[in-house]
Amino acid sequence: MRTSNSSKFAALAVGLALVVAACGSDSSSTDTTAGSTETTAGSTETTAGSTETTEGGTETTTGTDTPAMTITYNIAEKAVWDDGSAITAEDFICTYDAIMNTVGSLSTTGYDQIISVEAGANDHEVVATFKSVYAPYRGLFGGLIKKAAVADCNDISGDFQTEFTFSNRPYKLDSWSETQQVLVPNENYWGDDKAVVQKVVMLPKADPETEIASLLAKEVDFIYPQYSPETADAVKSDANVKVSIQFGGDYEGLYFQQNDGPFADADFRAAFAQSIDVESLMKQIYEPIVAGAKQLTCGPIVPGRYCDETTFQNTYDPAAAEKILTDAGWAKGADGYWAKDGGDAPEIRWMINTGNTRRENTQAFLIPLLQKAGFNVVADNCEAECVFQKRLPAMDYDLGMYISTAPPDPQYLTSSFTCDQIPSDENNQAGQNSQGWCNEDASALLLKADATVDLDERAGYIKDAIKLMREDWVMLPTFQFPKSGVYRTDKVGGPVEAELNNYEAFINFHQWTDVDGDGQIVIGAEQWPGCLNPITECANSSWYQWLVGFPLSMGVYDTTNDGDYKLTPLMASEPVVEIL
Amino acid sequence: MLRFIVRRLLWAIPTLFIVTFVVYCALRLATNPLASYARANPRIAKNPKKMAQYIETNGLWPGFSGYVRGYFVWLKGFVTGNWQVSIKGSRPVWPNLKNALINSVRLGLMASFVGITVGLSLGVFAALKPGRLRDTFVNTGALIGFSVQPFISAIILQLFFGVQWSKWFGEPLLPTSGLYPPGHQGFNLVLMLKYMILPTIVISIQTIASYSRYMRASLLDVLNSDYLRTARAKGISERTVLVKHALRNAMVPIVTLAALDIGAIVGGLIISEAVFDYPGMGVFFLTAQSNGDFPELMPWMVIVTSSVIIFNLVADLAYAWLDPRIRLD
Repeated sequence: MRTSNSSKFAALAVGLALVVAACGSDSSSTDTTAGSTETTAGSTETTAGSTETTEGGTETTTGTDTPAMTITYNIAEKAVWDDGSAITAEDFICTYDAIMNTVGSLSTTGYDQIISVEAGANDHEVVATFKSVYAPYRGLFGGLIKKAAVADCNDISGDFQTEFTFSNRPYKLDSWSETQQVLVPNENYWGDDKAVVQKVVMLPKADPETEIASLLAKEVDFIYPQYSPETADAVKSDANVKVSIQFGGDYEGLYFQQNDGPFADADFRAAFAQSIDVESLMKQIYEPIVAGAKQLTCGPIVPGRYCDETTFQNTYDPAAAEKILTDAGWAKGADGYWAKDGGDAPEIRWMINTGNTRRENTQAFLIPLLQKAGFNVVADNCEAECVFQKRLPAMDYDLGMYISTAPPDPQYLTSSFTCDQIPSDENNQAGQNSQGWCNEDASALLLKADATVDLDERAGYIKDAIKLMREDWVMLPTFQFPKSGVYRTDKVGGPVEAELNNYEAFINFHQWTDVDGDGQIVIGAEQWPGCLNPITECANSSWYQWLVGFPLSMGVYDTTNDGDYKLTPLMASEPVVEIL
Repeated sequence: MLRFIVRRLLWAIPTLFIVTFVVYCALRLATNPLASYARANPRIAKNPKKMAQYIETNGLWPGFSGYVRGYFVWLKGFVTGNWQVSIKGSRPVWPNLKNALINSVRLGLMASFVGITVGLSLGVFAALKPGRLRDTFVNTGALIGFSVQPFISAIILQLFFGVQWSKWFGEPLLPTSGLYPPGHQGFNLVLMLKYMILPTIVISIQTIASYSRYMRASLLDVLNSDYLRTARAKGISERTVLVKHALRNAMVPIVTLAALDIGAIVGGLIISEAVFDYPGMGVFFLTAQSNGDFPELMPWMVIVTSSVIIFNLVADLAYAWLDPRIRLD
């Protein structure tokens, strides 16, 4: 799985945790890995939302330090840390300082638009002043850092190595080690949704097979693996194990690297894309995974407010493909492959991560068809780490296939598809636009969307940008990939399946019940954090967020199971947004 | 004897120097700690000042002279207890390494005790009646034991005692992974032993197989020797011949082997630990290696190397103790 730092972090940073997915983490991963995703989509979490006092309309970034927007947060009077001390504006200020100034901070996206964070009329009021209108503001302050828990808010890189010394959630950390993490109820939690079970234990389980074996052996009560039919097969013999499949923000797609190589030629790329029979692919590969699987036609986003399901419909058109190439001077050579001006047929290197059976089957299915259509496609695979941490960032491929996780806010599209995010010396090779696609109009639309608070207007910009992706054949979406929670009904009960789709995953585990009366719930984790710092590289994985970030540090908003945001008990009222 | 021990210990010092320097160079080449650090901290990696500081602090200068200087920086830190922090997570190395070492030694000693004791007993049992049914039984068992690799026996045992047993009787008979039950905190001998049963069995299987073969061969060799024939001719009872004379001599090569095997325990039982999710030196090594974590790998290597050197010495001493003909001086 590929990690997308920005995105993930955005969450973290942004939420200290809201975050993105997964991956990098996944050095080990194959896509069998964890509920996590292979790439993260972009950066910040965002928003969309309605604002209370805003005018709503569109604003563009000013690029100056002139105040353009303020947000006033009102902290609930009852909100306290686990030691009983009040949560105040100082904690917001410390969080902002830590994210902006700590060396190695995962991402400052969004926070870098803030001019100042200050206490308002009292300790429970916080005013953040922005230099531009920042529509994804709901992703900011997704988790707080307690000021009293750190020596210097401007550098917390040395803190939280093996302990997380505060909580404002129903549980607090009792102990953490390489082998387990134990959470116990936060007696000072002020919300109505208090912890039900006396202990929640999280255990590292290296891979899905180990997770499943542990579940069957009753060592763990719940696991959250990336869905595969093999998972369901492995547990079907145990009547007390239930598999819950839900469709959330994960989606798989084919990506065309067009910075160089054969797909730098727009005609060749368009013809190739239109030669891929996605509907047949659905029948051959995806329908056996989940009955009734439906093709994803939104683009690099899942169905919802920002999706136009017609955009990527009916992309398969071999006649049009042939015409495009013929008109552009291409002709099939003696080997049956398209070539231009009597040259050699370009070789198309299709990269997936080795060992991913589904993708290998996809290659086995599509490569002969594409070769027959005149394209010299060859499999060029390597291990997951090589794919997601080396070749994708280096744009060392022609055709790629992987899963991404979309956060609730479409701001991640800006990080993943705008021109200035193509890896280059200018951005220290840190850009996440690994397709190398640059369309100035699309970039402008995405940036405009980020500065537009009105939801409908914002959705319009996003949809228009995605249409340009279709016109330029940046990618082909294939399938909204399911998330799965697998649990023992004889060990754990309550709303186990209620939040599996949530970006914050099983965030509601404090409401689960202990069915067998052993006094604890045990969750198997496919990845284990190296340390517990919430804003440095330690936090750069979904599993960190699911195990530590989200369950211990509450911010302004939580994500919901249907991909939206909701106010947390930390806040007395909806933040007040003012466009200046 | 004392002079021998002192001499060997003195020799161990330059040996350790040479070995650790070679290991230092090899590991730096293999793991490229600077690249690993940059990979683990990509944002810091973009800050040349911070990277230069990291190089300086950890002695990661390039070139042969840089390696030599870097080695002494590392050595000084190691000896004074000022160890480099891990690359992944920037955490102190010793607490985890210490726990891993204790866990591996505990498991290794238990498995060695069971394996060697049972293996030697079976070897004696077979050697007393060579060619008979018991001999065939032991030899066949040893062959099977050799053939079944730990990861296979581990999975079979896990499936049987964990998954299947749970299906039949509602609860697993034996825990299949970890050191303690989930959620347990603190030390509990009974629980710990329970969790060590399956890993111990898996590790013991091959130990039993090999030691039974060694013991059988060694004892047969001794039992057929001239001096024992003479002893029997003098009317010494078979029991005395076996216990007092044959076993002691047959044990000489076995003890040497056992000392070396026990010394190797410190390196961890990588496969078994990995399959049973047992947090020992093997798992520690695998994790550090996959992260390219040089600051974790170096102390691991030093401890493993030291253990091998020390137990070589122990083997020599045991050899001399069992066979007075050997003069260590």
